[in-house]
Amino acid sequence: MTKRISLLTAVVSILGLGWTVKTIAQQAQFQVSVDLVQLNVAVTDNKGNYVTGLKPSDFVISEDGIPEKLAFFAEGNGAARSLIDAPPPDPRTIEASAQAEPATPASATNATDSLSAAVVGSNVYILFDTSNYMYRGFVFAQDAIADFVRSLEKADKVAFYSYSRDLSRAAVLTPDRGEVVRGVRTTVAGDDAALYNSLLLTVKDASQTMGRKVVVVFSNGPDNSSVVPPEDVAELAQSSGIPIYMISTREARLEPVSTAVFERMTAATGGKAYFSKNWRDERKAFESIREDLAHLYSLSYYPKSNSNHGWRSISVKLTGDRFKGCHVRTRNGYRPQPSHFSVGGEAAGTSDSGK
Amino acid sequence: MKAVVVLPASRLFAFLCLVSCLGFAGAGDTPKPQAPSSATSLQAGSPQSVTVPGPLRSFLRMAGISQKASEEEVVPLLARNVFLLGYEGPSSRVRPTEFLILLSRYVQQARELSVMAGPEAVLRASSCDEARPLLQVLGYRTRSDCGQPGSYLETSDPQRAFITVDSGFPLPELERALQGGAPFKYEFRSTRVPILFTENDWTGGRNLLDALLRDSSLSRLYWAFAQMDPETQAALRQSPGLKRLQAYAPELDFYGSRLSIRAGHIDLPGGPGAEGTWRDLVGINPQNYGEFVDRLMAKDSGWLAAYFDALSRVNHVQQVHFTESRRLKPFYEALRHQDSPPADAARSVFRPAPGLLLLLTRMQWEPNGEPYIPGNLEVWKRVLRQKAYSDIARDWGKHAHSWNNSEQLLEALVGISRVDTEAGPLQAYLLLSELDAERTSKHRLSPETVALMASRFNQLGDQYLIFSEFPDLDDTSITAFINVATHLDSLNNHYVRGNAIGMFDANVGLWQILARQGQIPKSELNSSWQKVVKQYAAVANSTGVFDAGRNSLRELLIAANGKPDANQDTLIYLLAGPRQTTPEGQTMHQEVAARIRSVLDAQRLVSLDTLIQLGDNLHQVAQVKDRTPGLLLLAGELREFEMPQPIFKKSEREEWGAGVYNNKHTDLEMQTDISKVIKSPASDQQLADARGQLASFLRDTLVGLNYAYYEPPGAQILHHNPLFVRSHDFSGDTVVGMQKVCWRAPQLFGAGSPAGGGAHLVGSLADLPYVLAQAEQDFITPENVQALIWGAVVPGIMTSAVVPRWWSVSRNELHAVSLYQQAGEQLLASSAGNEEVRNKALDILGDRVAPRILDHVRQSLRSGRSDDAMAYLTPADTFYLAAEFQKRFPQQGDALGAPGRDLATLGQQHPEDMTWQRLSRDFGVPHPVLAQSYALELLNLPPFPAFMGYSSRFLAESWDSNNLYWARLADEKDYSPVMLNGLVPELTHRMIEKIFATDLEDWPALLRAERETGEEFRRGKIAPLVAAAGPADK
Repeated sequence: MTKRISLLTAVVSILGLGWTVKTIAQQAQFQVSVDLVQLNVAVTDNKGNYVTGLKPSDFVISEDGIPEKLAFFAEGNGAARSLIDAPPPDPRTIEASAQAEPATPASATNATDSLSAAVVGSNVYILFDTSNYMYRGFVFAQDAIADFVRSLEKADKVAFYSYSRDLSRAAVLTPDRGEVVRGVRTTVAGDDAALYNSLLLTVKDASQTMGRKVVVVFSNGPDNSSVVPPEDVAELAQSSGIPIYMISTREARLEPVSTAVFERMTAATGGKAYFSKNWRDERKAFESIREDLAHLYSLSYYPKSNSNHGWRSISVKLTGDRFKGCHVRTRNGYRPQPSHFSVGGEAAGTSDSGK
Repeated sequence: MKAVVVLPASRLFAFLCLVSCLGFAGAGDTPKPQAPSSATSLQAGSPQSVTVPGPLRSFLRMAGISQKASEEEVVPLLARNVFLLGYEGPSSRVRPTEFLILLSRYVQQARELSVMAGPEAVLRASSCDEARPLLQVLGYRTRSDCGQPGSYLETSDPQRAFITVDSGFPLPELERALQGGAPFKYEFRSTRVPILFTENDWTGGRNLLDALLRDSSLSRLYWAFAQMDPETQAALRQSPGLKRLQAYAPELDFYGSRLSIRAGHIDLPGGPGAEGTWRDLVGINPQNYGEFVDRLMAKDSGWLAAYFDALSRVNHVQQVHFTESRRLKPFYEALRHQDSPPADAARSVFRPAPGLLLLLTRMQWEPNGEPYIPGNLEVWKRVLRQKAYSDIARDWGKHAHSWNNSEQLLEALVGISRVDTEAGPLQAYLLLSELDAERTSKHRLSPETVALMASRFNQLGDQYLIFSEFPDLDDTSITAFINVATHLDSLNNHYVRGNAIGMFDANVGLWQILARQGQIPKSELNSSWQKVVKQYAAVANSTGVFDAGRNSLRELLIAANGKPDANQDTLIYLLAGPRQTTPEGQTMHQEVAARIRSVLDAQRLVSLDTLIQLGDNLHQVAQVKDRTPGLLLLAGELREFEMPQPIFKKSEREEWGAGVYNNKHTDLEMQTDISKVIKSPASDQQLADARGQLASFLRDTLVGLNYAYYEPPGAQILHHNPLFVRSHDFSGDTVVGMQKVCWRAPQLFGAGSPAGGGAHLVGSLADLPYVLAQAEQDFITPENVQALIWGAVVPGIMTSAVVPRWWSVSRNELHAVSLYQQAGEQLLASSAGNEEVRNKALDILGDRVAPRILDHVRQSLRSGRSDDAMAYLTPADTFYLAAEFQKRFPQQGDALGAPGRDLATLGQQHPEDMTWQRLSRDFGVPHPVLAQSYALELLNLPPFPAFMGYSSRFLAESWDSNNLYWARLADEKDYSPVMLNGLVPELTHRMIEKIFATDLEDWPALLRAERETGEEFRRGKIAPLVAAAGPADK
C-alpha cells in the first residue's frame, strides 16, 4: 500500500465528513510525507499449502524492475519488525516548505512506531449484496456471513456493510462479533445493485484505518447501477494495499462479466474469488480466507527513486531453489497518488496525518 | 430521464418500470416522528383505529414506510404504497407484486406470532424445546448442538426466514438465548393506529388493513382522502359518499388535495365570481358540492379536475388572471381540445401535463393585464408552425394566421401544455418570457432575436439558461452566440466538432462563473461575452479550435483579471471566488481553490500552463528551435496519462461494453506525440498541426475546471474515475441518436455497465451542476436503514448548495435572514391569541401551503399550540410570512415581536442590505426548470406535486428553505457569511443522509432532515468541521 506517513511539525489536521476549513493548501505546505509501500503476501507450495516461517531475506522485491529493500516484515498476526533504522528520505516524495522544520531523527522514530502499528492486526470489511440479484439466496447468504464473522479470529476487527443501490454501514469496524452479527441479521433486501460504487466506498473506508485490512464481498455479481467501473476500484485497492476477496455462488458464473471482474480484481489486489455450489456451501471459502489472514506476510519498503509517475509494477519472488514450485500471491502494482491533497475525495491512504 | 423513486426492495420487481432510483437502506430504531407528514389525516383525536399486528417498526419496514412516520400517517401511507407499488401488469391481467406478496405474508406471520405472544404480548424462549414452535414460525431451526455456546440458528424455511429478517426480528438475541444465555423475551405488541372515519365506512365491516391490502382502488381512495383537510373529508363522506367516489379514486388522488369544502360550499378557483363558469364547465351547480365534485372528477377523463387543481395551486394573483370570465372556459376548451382529446388524466403513474401548472404559475402579464409576449405575435405564429414540434402544436399553428391578440396565443399555449415534452413551443415561450422579464422595457429582446432564439430552441434551448441568468446580455451578444453555435454545428469532422463545442462550452461556462461571482464588471458583460464567444466564429479545424480556445481564455482573463496571461493557479484562484480581505475569507477561498485543484489532479488533466506554453511557442520554426529542450519536457507531459489498469480484454469490451465503452477521445490523446515536430520542425504548417493536436487536451482541462467548480458534496467519480472528464461526449458520437442533441443539457450514460469504462456525460455543459449531482448522488449513504431518498429531489437539493456562493453577503443580510424566520415564528405565536392577526397570517400562508396543512396550522393556533403549527411550516414559510406581513401590515409590526423590532432597526440602518431583491438573490436557489434560469432567487412557491421526466425536478426547485435555514444557523453561531461557502455543502450533505421519506411528495421528510441536521449543528456535532476557522471576529 502506498502510505503517506505525515511528519507534521506544526499542523494538526482536522478530518471531518469530507470538508475541513483548515486549508489544504496550508496543510500541504507544512507537510513532510514519505511513501511506504506495504504488501500482503501469501506464499503457497505446489499443493496449495501455506509456506510459513519465511525470513525477510527469502523475499526479493522489485518495483518497475528496480530492486527494493525491505523496511518492515511481519508474518501472520505477528508484530511488524523494522529492518531499517529510519525511513530513507526520498527527495521526490518528500515535500517540505521553507517553513517546515527538517525531518529529524525523532520524527522519523515516531514514524517508525506508527508504521509498526500500522501493520499489526487485521481489519476485515465485509460487503454484502442485498440487491434483487440476491433475493433467492438472501437468508442463506446471511447465515453464511454470520458463520464467517463468528469464525474470524478474535484479534481481528470486523466491519459489516451492505449495499443495493446505496451503501449501508450496518456495523462499523469493531472487535465485537455480536455487534457485527446483529448488523448481518438486520440487513434488508434492496433493489438495484451498485457493487462497484459500494466497493469503492468500502475500500476508501478500509484505507483510512490503521493496520492490515482486507475486503470480503458476498455477491452474486451483476451490477446495474454503478457509475464507477471496476478498474477504478481495483486500482484504489491496489494502491491502498487492500486485498479483495469475492465470495459468490455458481449462479454468478452465468454472468460472464461479473465472473471476469471477480477473478481478475481479486487476483490483481492479492485476494481470491470463490464460487461455491450455493450459499450453504461456503465453508471452504471461509476457511481459505481465514487461512490467508493467518498466514499473510506483511512486507513493506520505501521505493527507491523512480521517475515513473504512472502505474508501477511490483514483483515479489522467493530466493533459493528450495522455493521452486512455490506460488507468491500479492498485488501486482500501484499508482502513486497525486501530490495535492484532495478533500472530499481524498485518495486512500493519503490522509493519515493527525489520526 | 432518470426515474424518480427508490423502492423498498427485491419485492419491488414490479415497480421497476415506474421507478428506479430510490435508495432503501435500512433499519434502526429511529425516534418517533415529530415533524409533519405529507399524508397525515390531521384529524386530531380520531377515535377510530385499526390494529397493525406486531411491532409497528417491523410493519413499517415491510410496508416501505419511513420509520419517522407518525401513527396517523401509517394507514394513509400503507394505502399509498399498496396501490402504487402493489400491482403490476396490464389492466386485464393485474397481479400482485413481490412487495405486496411479502407484505401480506408478513401480516400473516405477525398475526401468528401475536397469538404466540399471548395477552402479555411477549414472545419468550428459555430453552431449545421452548423455542421450537417460535422458530418454526420464524423459518429457522437450531443446529444439533442447541444450548451450547457455539450453537447457531440456520434457515429452515427460506420464505418465512426472509420475512423474519426483513422485518427486523431480533434473531441475534434469540440466538444468544439458545446458546445458554439469558432467556429470550421480546415484546411483540400490536399497535392501534388511527384511521379516517370508521372501518365500516370503508369496508362494510371487514378489517380495513386486509381490505386495503386486497383492493388497490380502495387504497387509492383512502390515500386521496388523507390528502384533504378534515372538513372536506367529512363533507365528501356525506356527499357523494365514499362508495360513489371510489370510481374516481385516481382522479381524487391526483387532483383532490386542493378541494376545500367549507360549511357546505366548495371553494372555487376564481371565487364566487367564477361560479357561473364552473357551473357551465362541470354541468352542476357548485352549491351542490357533492354532485359537483362527483361530476368534476368524472368529466373528460379527469381533465377538468386537472384544470381545477392546477388553478387551485397557483397564487392569488395568477388565479385572478386565469379565472377571468373571458379565459376560464375557453382555456379549458383549448386544453381538452374537441378534435384531439387527450388521454386519461389519471391513468398513468404520474400526473400528466406538467406544462399546464408551470404555465399557470409562471405566466407573465403586461401592466394592463394582457398576456406578455416576447417579441411579437407574428414570431409565435411562425414558431407554432415549426415542423419540429408536435402535431398538436402545429395544429394550433395552422389556425394562428388569423390571430390578432395575445389572448389567442395564450389559449394555444394552454392547449399545447398537455404535450409531454421538454422542448416544445410552450417551453420556448416560458423561457423567453423569463428572459425578458428581467429586462427593462427599453431593453427587451427584439422580435428578430426572439425569432432567432425560438427557431433554434430545439437545439439550443438549454444553452439559453445563461441569458436568463444574465439579462444584461443584449441582442448582439445573444445573436453572436447563436451564430457561433450554428457554425460549430456545421463542422463536418466529428472530432473537431466535439472538441470545438466542448471548448466553446467550457469557455462560456467559465465566463458564467466569473460573471456570477461579480468578477466581470457589469459594464463589461456584453463586451467580454462577445470577445469570448467570437473567437470561435471562424473555426474550421483542430488548430483553429486550439487557437480559439486559447484566445477566448485570454479575453476571459482580461475581463476578470485585467491581464491577458495567467497561469492555471491564477485561473483557479479566480474561480474560487473574488479576492478576500478577511482572514476567514482568505481561508475559505484557499479551501475552495484546493478543492478545484484536487479534482484536476484526480482527473490527471494536463496543466493549463503546459498547454499554453506549448501552444504559444508552436508558431514559428525559429522559435521552436530556440526552445527545443524546454518544449520537449512540456510535450512529455502530454504522454503521462495512462489508462486505468485494464480488467477486460479488448474483445470483451467490444462484446460486453458495446454501445457504452468508447474512449476514442482519450485513445487519440494517448497517441499524440508532438516531440518529433519539436525536435525537427520543418514548416509552420507542421507546427500549426501540432498546435491542433493540443486542442483536445485544452478542451479537457477547461471542461475539467467547470466540473471541478461544480463538484457536488460527497463526490467520488470526480476523484476516482480519471476518464470522467475526458469521456464527456460533446458530439453525441458515443450514443446512437444523440448527435442531434449535443447542445442540450448532458445526460448520464453508462451507469450499471461494468465493462463500459464508467459513466460519462453526453451533451453540453448546460445544466452541468444538476447533472453532476445526479451522477454523484448515490455515493451519499443514507443514515437510516431503508431510508427512501428519491432521485428526482436529491440532485436538485445538491445543486442549490453548489451554485450559490456567499462571498459578497454582508453580516447584516445574514442576520436579517435569521430575524425574518424568527419574526415569522413570533407572528405565529402572537396569532395564537389574536384572531385578527391569525387570519392575516393564514391568508398569507394560503399562497404557500395546501388546505390540509393550512387547516392544521389554523386549528393549532386556535388552540394556542403555536409550536405544533410551526412543525408544519418550513423556514421559507416563516421567512415569507414575516416579510409579507411586514409589507402588507406595516402598522402591526408588534406582532412580529422582538425579531420584528430588530428587523426594523436593521432596515433603518442598512436599507440596502434588507431589500427583498437582495435577500432573494443572495439566499435563493437556481430554478433551471421552474424558472428557466440559474439565477438565484426565492420564488415563494408551495412544494410542487410529483411529475415524471424533466418535470420531476419541480419539487426540488420549489424547495428553497435550505439556504435560508443554514444561514440562520450560521448567524446563531456568529459565523462570517463567507463560511457558508463551506458550511452549506456540508450541511446539505448531512441533510440528504438524513432524509427518510416514504413517497415522492414527502416534502415533510425534507423538513425533518433539515431540522435534524440543524439540531446536530447546534449541538456542535458538525461544529468541528468549521471550528478551525471559528466564528469570525466582529
